[in-house]
Amino acid sequence: MTVSWLLWILLILPAAAGGICLLLRSARVVLLFVIAAVAGTSAVAAAAAWSVFAGRPIFAGAEWLYLDALSAYHLILLHAVFVLSSVYAFFYFTRERSSGPIRMRRFGSLWLGSLAAMSTVLISNNLGMVWVGIEASTLLTAFLICTHVSPSSLEATWKYLIMCSVGVAFAFIGTLLVAAAAAPAKLAASDVLLWTHLREAAGSLNPAILKTGFIFLLVGYGTKTGLAPMHNWLPDAHSQAPAPVSAIFSGFLLNTALYCILRYVPLVEIATGGSRWALELLTGFGALSIVIAGAFIIFQHDAKRLLAYHSVEHMGIIALGVGLGGFGTFAAMFHVMNHSLCKSLGFFSAGRLGQLYGTHDLGRMAGAARSSPVWGRGFLLSLLALIGAAPFAIFMSEFQILKAAADRGAFVVMAIFLAGAAIVFVGALRHAVGVAWDDPVGQPAPENAGLGEKLLVIVPLAILLVFGLWMPDCLKDVLNRAADVIRGGL
Amino acid sequence: MNELIDALMVLAVLLNLRLLGSSRLASCIRTVAIEGIALGLLPLLLAWNQGLSGRLVFLAVASIVTRGVVFPWVLLRAQRNANVQREVQPFINYPLSILTGVLTLVLSLWLCSRLPLPQAPQMLLIPVAMSTILVGLLVIVSRRLAISQVLGYIVMENGIYVLGLTLVQDIPALVELGVLLDAFVAVFVMSIVTHQISREFDHIDADQMDSLKG
Repeated sequence: MTVSWLLWILLILPAAAGGICLLLRSARVVLLFVIAAVAGTSAVAAAAAWSVFAGRPIFAGAEWLYLDALSAYHLILLHAVFVLSSVYAFFYFTRERSSGPIRMRRFGSLWLGSLAAMSTVLISNNLGMVWVGIEASTLLTAFLICTHVSPSSLEATWKYLIMCSVGVAFAFIGTLLVAAAAAPAKLAASDVLLWTHLREAAGSLNPAILKTGFIFLLVGYGTKTGLAPMHNWLPDAHSQAPAPVSAIFSGFLLNTALYCILRYVPLVEIATGGSRWALELLTGFGALSIVIAGAFIIFQHDAKRLLAYHSVEHMGIIALGVGLGGFGTFAAMFHVMNHSLCKSLGFFSAGRLGQLYGTHDLGRMAGAARSSPVWGRGFLLSLLALIGAAPFAIFMSEFQILKAAADRGAFVVMAIFLAGAAIVFVGALRHAVGVAWDDPVGQPAPENAGLGEKLLVIVPLAILLVFGLWMPDCLKDVLNRAADVIRGGL
Repeated sequence: MNELIDALMVLAVLLNLRLLGSSRLASCIRTVAIEGIALGLLPLLLAWNQGLSGRLVFLAVASIVTRGVVFPWVLLRAQRNANVQREVQPFINYPLSILTGVLTLVLSLWLCSRLPLPQAPQMLLIPVAMSTILVGLLVIVSRRLAISQVLGYIVMENGIYVLGLTLVQDIPALVELGVLLDAFVAVFVMSIVTHQISREFDHIDADQMDSLKG
């Protein structure tokens, strides 16, 4: 098999490029090199994903590496977010006075290192290696938060490190319990942590131990996903990190952890005979996250913290959609893509506005849509899309999740979701109106946005708009096949 | 061998209590190091009857060196850099922490009698592992200093290590090494951040870092 080499390249290329970053001379060269390396890796990822969707799942390395529809879909999103954010990082850091070559070298290698770690999570078949990838991405991204060392960025880094390390340690206990639950299935010692083998033997796993394990996994990986009530680190980390880093945090780091939870859902569901136990837990955490995020969004003054609480809300929506099952899983997969694109744009805009205004305070940014036409409007539109304004794609996926809830007759869930979404809508709309029409308070620096920056705003918005109005059949097929993995089809 | 394993478990419990009761950072670090070495011997004792393999010895040595030598060295250095001697006024005072430590053991013993866990070779292994994890958590939430919180994390990792040895007999070596490496890097990263905190703030009191709210 020649395709299996692609998976190895996906791991080796970013890791090696991360090492090379440390040898480069100037800050500008590092940033350009990062763009080239990420673009190269994403071409490989696209090829691998193509062969999965056109043919069958790929195995490599004695079944330790595995790419199926669910992971291929996430892999594409991961690379899309990384390509956009790397291009943005170039514009962002070249305008930052404190981006010396030493800092940028460190940034480049950590950035590419976290790409390698997140790829490890997505393409590992061994659940132990999945855990190793998550922990490695936590440690690598911790230093990205304090790219610019300051008391508040250190505070955020410390909170992130402690909360996520402890959370992820819980996830490891869960992984051990899942391996222990496999004892009745009589798997060979080397296969006991391989997802594909567990999936085949799912019917004979010990349900009681598996359920205990799933609780640990949900709390552990849920901490890193930012599900309430384990979300406390998230607003601090997102608001203190430089904007490109916030974009990958919100755009994909959270999804990587959620992806790990999704991997275990079919195992638990099959082992418990389709009792919907795991799905109901997910729905519960999802609903709680939506409500709690809504309450905090109303009182936000800081643009990046506002976006961070939106992340908590949207992770909740995805968990809730998956928890509904059936059509809800499909809608949740659609929502993953919409959220990643939209949130990246949101942080791009908030970051550049922050540079122009010298603050992230929403009150000082009043009237930004007029005084900084590119990024001000980008922020306004991304905020509108995030709260579910039609005709953007997030409106469609939220509508589909509502429909799934109605089809199931889950009216309590539906009511909570609607109430939460309404609070968020009203709360965030107030901020959006201020950004669009209020009289200017602060004096922003001139924007000087070139074609590249304009494209960074236009491309995600165009994608969101197109998919909001029209869903091509190939996308539908991809989403359905990804959702099928979670729903327990092979 | 069984008596020796039981003795190690009792030693781990006593060391946990000592950690909860002492305020001097240096002695806390040493306590955790001794616990790491003691627990590192565990895989060798567990497999004694079936005969030792090279892989097992290698993993045990790697674990003992990391937990018994590298961790304390990194932490003692961080402590000297930050120039703090002792934990002043933890959120839960020392007698109460020791009492809670004993309670975690009781709770773990009770839980193990109720949970449908697979048969462990030794009665004490799983309860002590669980209680060690809980003690680690207790240290993380009840102490103010960043270094003490790192110690809590290491103790928690120690507990998970024992739990892993007991629950799953044959984790692939690569995964086991990956886990050890991650713990190693985590402690390293945390101590670097601790160093930066002490430079930026003139203290390493995690409780005083409270400017980010809402």
